[in-house]
Amino acid sequence: MATRRDLMKLAGAAPLAGAATLAGGLPARAASTDKFVYANNSPYDNIDPHTVFDIARQATRFNLYDGLYRWVGNPPQMIPWLAESHTVSDDGKVYTFRLRENAKFHDGKPITAEDVVYSIERMIALKKGPASLYIDSVKPGTTKALDARTVQFNLTAPSAIFLGTVPDILIVNSALVRRNERNGDWAEPWLARNEAGSGSYALRRYDPAVGFSARRFRDHFIPFGERPFEELEFRTVLETNTRVLGLQRGDFQGVDGYMPYDQIQRLRGSNNVQIVEEESLRVFQFAVNTTKAPLDDVHFRRALAHAFDYEGFIRDIMKGSVARNPGPLPNPIWGTPKGLAGYSYDLDKAREELRQVKAPLRPITINALAGFSESEQAAVLFQNSLRQIGVEVRVEVSPWSVVSSRMRSPETQADLVPLWKSTYYVDPNNWVGELVNSRYHGTRSFCYYKDPELDAKLDRALAMSDQAERQRIYEEVVQAVNDLALGIFIYNTKWYGPYAADIENIRFSPVSNGQDLRWAQAHK
Amino acid sequence: MVWLNIILNRLVWLVPTLLGLLVIVFLLSRVVPIDPARLVAGENASPSQIEAVRQQLGFDRPLPVQFVRYVGDVARGDFGTSLFTQQPILDDLSARLPATLELTLVAVLIATGLGIPLGVLCGLHRNSWLDHGLRIVTVSGLAVASFWLAMQLQFLFSMKLGWLPLSGRIEGFPPEEVTGLVILDALIDGDPEIIRSAVSHIVLPAITLALPAAATMVRFTRNGVLGAIDSPSVAYQTAMGYPRRQVVWKYVLRMAITATVTQLGLIFGILLAGAVVVETVFDWPGIGAYAVRSILQSDYNAVMGFTLWTGAIFVLVNLLVDLLQATIDPRGAR
Repeated sequence: MATRRDLMKLAGAAPLAGAATLAGGLPARAASTDKFVYANNSPYDNIDPHTVFDIARQATRFNLYDGLYRWVGNPPQMIPWLAESHTVSDDGKVYTFRLRENAKFHDGKPITAEDVVYSIERMIALKKGPASLYIDSVKPGTTKALDARTVQFNLTAPSAIFLGTVPDILIVNSALVRRNERNGDWAEPWLARNEAGSGSYALRRYDPAVGFSARRFRDHFIPFGERPFEELEFRTVLETNTRVLGLQRGDFQGVDGYMPYDQIQRLRGSNNVQIVEEESLRVFQFAVNTTKAPLDDVHFRRALAHAFDYEGFIRDIMKGSVARNPGPLPNPIWGTPKGLAGYSYDLDKAREELRQVKAPLRPITINALAGFSESEQAAVLFQNSLRQIGVEVRVEVSPWSVVSSRMRSPETQADLVPLWKSTYYVDPNNWVGELVNSRYHGTRSFCYYKDPELDAKLDRALAMSDQAERQRIYEEVVQAVNDLALGIFIYNTKWYGPYAADIENIRFSPVSNGQDLRWAQAHK
Repeated sequence: MVWLNIILNRLVWLVPTLLGLLVIVFLLSRVVPIDPARLVAGENASPSQIEAVRQQLGFDRPLPVQFVRYVGDVARGDFGTSLFTQQPILDDLSARLPATLELTLVAVLIATGLGIPLGVLCGLHRNSWLDHGLRIVTVSGLAVASFWLAMQLQFLFSMKLGWLPLSGRIEGFPPEEVTGLVILDALIDGDPEIIRSAVSHIVLPAITLALPAAATMVRFTRNGVLGAIDSPSVAYQTAMGYPRRQVVWKYVLRMAITATVTQLGLIFGILLAGAVVVETVFDWPGIGAYAVRSILQSDYNAVMGFTLWTGAIFVLVNLLVDLLQATIDPRGAR
């Protein structure tokens, strides 16, 4: 017969014994001030700078690679980076950049105009990620290396936004990449797992299942601050709770800055965590599919715009953490007419507009984004208020991959989609131009409204360099978007960057979203 | 001969099983309202960009052509290329297999070390306080959601007590890969700090996986013991004067363990196919976490590859369980 002692022996089996031996306590990762560990919610499954372009995975682009210019700070300013200057031809079609003399790749090879030419040709050939910014304006074979330090872009047409998109042309070491090409593949599989850049940090270890680590590139052409981190480690941690606990525990020094606000509030309670607050350029809105009745009727769209409880959503769901943004352009960006108030929550006005709708009403669909609580909450709130004016709503929740596929065509796009429009380049065209101009239908647009007059205005604004005239045009277009209710614009996102309390000099930019870490340093 | 029969029988069924799985997975992946070409090209890609990617990936061809091509590729061991990592699926899975295998082995060891002895004790002390108490514990263990258990363990052992790491497989990146099993590689490396880091990181995820598995094994072992203990052969062994310890741990256990081994095989297969939730919560870079990422990103090829992998693992594990049972109790195999 087994005794109690036998039982205790069995119950105290290996795992607990193992845990007990470790009970001495483990040092948290934060012990080292030489290393910055960042926990991200998206996988670093590909580190090719010409393929990856989404906000969540920008760490590889900004830390391992350099562009000719770079967006920094908030509001974002474009500063010379690999290029020290540029000139534009009188017709606005020829951009000539002069490269720095002292810039080198991580393998020590000097960066030349040939590398710039190879990089833009590679982007256009791969037709992925950032290529959509150039595919119409830069044709293959048109970019020239005039000498080792001078590169010339010959655009198909004048473009007011080309310069603003230049920071996204990240330069790769052409000799190194060419050595790894196989059968004209532009070394795509190789560069997905290896690095050929000149950035502030050089890749040290990469594991798509884990993330990457990078060591500071001491020969970088831009001087570092007093106490830069010697090593960066970016890890993929899918579970939000694990990221939050890891930051509180000191395992991570930074986590992604667009967490649900309740998690930010949770982090505020930790003494060893700081929240860096910045107004971003990321407008939360309902995309409206204007092609289907009754949404093709301006009165129905206005009824919708009056039926969303903006203040209630910001006050009760967002806990007052964001500012109302009445138009398509983020508040800090020029191009919105002074005094644009947008729509207010007024169900009487909504009913009044609804009475003028000619087409019969039908249930409309809101396709919210799975995993983004604000998107789902906005959809449900809207569903409730629309019911009060007699509009039935079906809420569907799908992952972004499904939503974005549906948005490719007006036939498959849902009636309303609560989403964020982020910053890819800092120009009103990024928001209102891409929303309304029919040249972006099926690609960067999610409105499908077509008005030749608006198209002509926006095309003109794209081609001219007169800033005052551009501002006037965008103000007109923004007013028209408002009058036509081509979207339901709710708030401009605030970025709450959670970092360890002993980190300083985090420089947020709405383009790099706090992942450009060459400026960060630990307290003395 | 018995083993050969079992192996041949299982192999004959392997092909239609996997083919059926392939058809279902392929059709399901094409029914989902997602355009993979658009995903790969990027959310802002132009129609020409998307079409170029579609042609490059072969998604422009008729569905039957795509399927036949896919089956042919799989038959040659080519599961396709991940839409996101740009690497062959088999390479992606192989790279993550050691992490999952290591976690599975440790979890199964813990589950076996706990489950079988406790199951025997429950069986020997039927309806005692020990039996009732453990029944409550095992039912609770089965009912507890793994993500909840994982978070509670994280909260207690990492946040409150600070004894164990919160997540990850090791501090930073693992040592030079020899076997891919980090604990083993750390032992080969010989650095005590790395060994300590590797061992401490596996404790919480392994226990999270092991506790429900141990609960299953307690219940099956207990039932097996109850069935065996009244058998004539045990009565004979006892009458022959063998020591009780020997009767229990040699003869009773041998008869009782057949069902437990079946469960053990199933648990091993489930865990090896990817402990999806636990790997995600603990940021464990294994096959389960890969599956989650692939699903979230709608990486068709990766999801199909993972599903086939899961099917193959189950067929293989069933085969091994049959062989093990034939060894323990040859009567059943005849």
